[in-house]
Amino acid sequence: MQIEISGLHKTYTGAQPLHVLKGIDLSIEKGEFVSIMGASGSGKSTLLNILGILDNYDEGEYRIDGTLIKDLSERQAADYRNRMIGFIFQSFNLISFKTAVENVELPLFYQGVPRRKRHERAMEMLERVGLTDWAGHYPNEMSGGQKQRVAIARALITYPKIILADEPTGALDSKTSAEVMELLSHINEKYGATLIVVTHESGVANCTNRIIHIKDGMIGEIEDNSAHKASMFGAATVMK
Amino acid sequence: MKLDLDSFKEITDSLMRNRRRSFLTGFGIFWGLFMLLFMLGGGDGLKAMLEKNFEGFATNTTIIVSDLTSKPYKGFKEGRYWELTRDDVDRLIQMVPELRTVTPIISRWGQTAVNDDNTVSANVKGVESKYSMIETPKLKYGRYINDIDVNQHRKVCVIGKRIYTSLFPDGGDPCGSFIRVGSVYFEVIGVDYNSSNISINGSADETILIPIPVAQTLYRYGNNVSIICMTGKTGVQMSSLEPRIRSVMARQHQLDPTDEQALFVLNTEQMFAIMDNLFKGVNFLIWLVGLGTLLAGAIGVSNIMMVTVKERTTEIGIRRAIGATPSEILSQILSESVALTIVSGFLSIVFTVMLLNGLESVVKDGTPFQISFGTAVSAALLLIALGAIAGLAPALRAMKIKPVDAMRDE
Repeated sequence: MQIEISGLHKTYTGAQPLHVLKGIDLSIEKGEFVSIMGASGSGKSTLLNILGILDNYDEGEYRIDGTLIKDLSERQAADYRNRMIGFIFQSFNLISFKTAVENVELPLFYQGVPRRKRHERAMEMLERVGLTDWAGHYPNEMSGGQKQRVAIARALITYPKIILADEPTGALDSKTSAEVMELLSHINEKYGATLIVVTHESGVANCTNRIIHIKDGMIGEIEDNSAHKASMFGAATVMK
Repeated sequence: MKLDLDSFKEITDSLMRNRRRSFLTGFGIFWGLFMLLFMLGGGDGLKAMLEKNFEGFATNTTIIVSDLTSKPYKGFKEGRYWELTRDDVDRLIQMVPELRTVTPIISRWGQTAVNDDNTVSANVKGVESKYSMIETPKLKYGRYINDIDVNQHRKVCVIGKRIYTSLFPDGGDPCGSFIRVGSVYFEVIGVDYNSSNISINGSADETILIPIPVAQTLYRYGNNVSIICMTGKTGVQMSSLEPRIRSVMARQHQLDPTDEQALFVLNTEQMFAIMDNLFKGVNFLIWLVGLGTLLAGAIGVSNIMMVTVKERTTEIGIRRAIGATPSEILSQILSESVALTIVSGFLSIVFTVMLLNGLESVVKDGTPFQISFGTAVSAALLLIALGAIAGLAPALRAMKIKPVDAMRDE
């Protein structure tokens, strides 16, 4: 098992404490393509933040390849995020004053990879997502689909063990959504990276091999979807 | 913090993103440092200009003058008239060995000097050769009065600049020609171009110097003199000698030693001290205003960096999410602040140096306005420190941004 979660609890403290995750047990194998579905407020984003070492949890255990991820220092957390995890966000979260290739380079910059090598690898990644010609363009000169593909290249460049995507198609139209999902499953198949997608779109979930439903902070149903027939609109109607 | 091409690019990228704001913020630093350095240079220049006025006048001079007594003493009534004599000079030399030069002068105002058709009104001063130690002459032609002139009672004179230009409108060396002063003819032996604004009994410009015994005879002074001037040996505080000078004079002339009116003592050291204090005050104001302006500029940088950090919450969150450590974020914000301060500050130093250079070439009398190299270097060091301090608060705030904030801010 690559990802093992057991008895995970998370409460947001405040004037009114909010118990968001109420005992999550979850295992994900290396190279799996999983989606986490749930209504808003179900705790799926919190779970993703914890999976991405962006947030702490109160109780339970979270292990990546057997390493316990708990109460890390900021520096350690930053290092693990940088080396183990790639992020894809709903709003792309590219840095607006950097070109596509510079955005892709950024994780390597924080790894201390020399400039030339960094550029080489970033160009290679852009080629894989089919954006070689757009390397020198700024994010505001690109379409949503292109931006998301840059973000995917950025997530892939460190060859992470796990790629986390938070509503990767949330800001895209159906056609580009399909393209992005196709790219993601291609990456999953070809490079064997574990891919976890958080979504509330059944079409997106349908592209993944396993669907984990989360409801009120608890794991609900776990569907095996290797046949890609979960969509209520049928396998052919992919999105929206 | 490593400093290489990459971190340099990161800094310029984010500073150039909002050019106008970076420019205006940098201008605060630019102007603050400019004010400080320009006022420092200008202040030094003004001081040098003023000091030039006192050039050629010994700064540790004391002069004494006799006046009516104000206290009765040893049977004499108050209000008695007495006079200094040439013997007092020797007496002072013997009794107060700390004095280097002691020399008497006699002065006569409102004399008329004539050469052919040219007439000018002049002060006549009878002096010894040693008087050149008190008011240093700048001889354009000829020589100063020497001991032989004094011993042989020669009728020779050294004329001031205005006397020379009035009596000899055609210019040229006047030495050897005779001018009439009052009713007596004197041979001109030198021309003094000293134009110092501080002098004893009349500006050197309008003075005719003659040997003191000639003046004593001519103006019927007998053995009396008007003023005795003296300077101290190196390291001697003239003011500390004053009581002894008073007691020597009091004993000789039957004066009450506590009678301040009978013997007037003027100590130029004190006058120069007043001026020194004045300049210290001006300097203090310069530093206060200059540093104040610079500090306001630095606070401006700090404020703007604060705003920038707030605006860049998402960006910093993204950086954190993809693996930037908090210290990397800290050093980035700090170096942006330092870079902004240093660039605008260095431009300011260059600008100030050029402006002061220009000022020097406009003023043209050799007054040094330029700031010293040491001042420039310390200004540069000050800038680095200021930039770091200004960036510290915003950088600490940036460090606290959590990667989750990147996603929240949608």
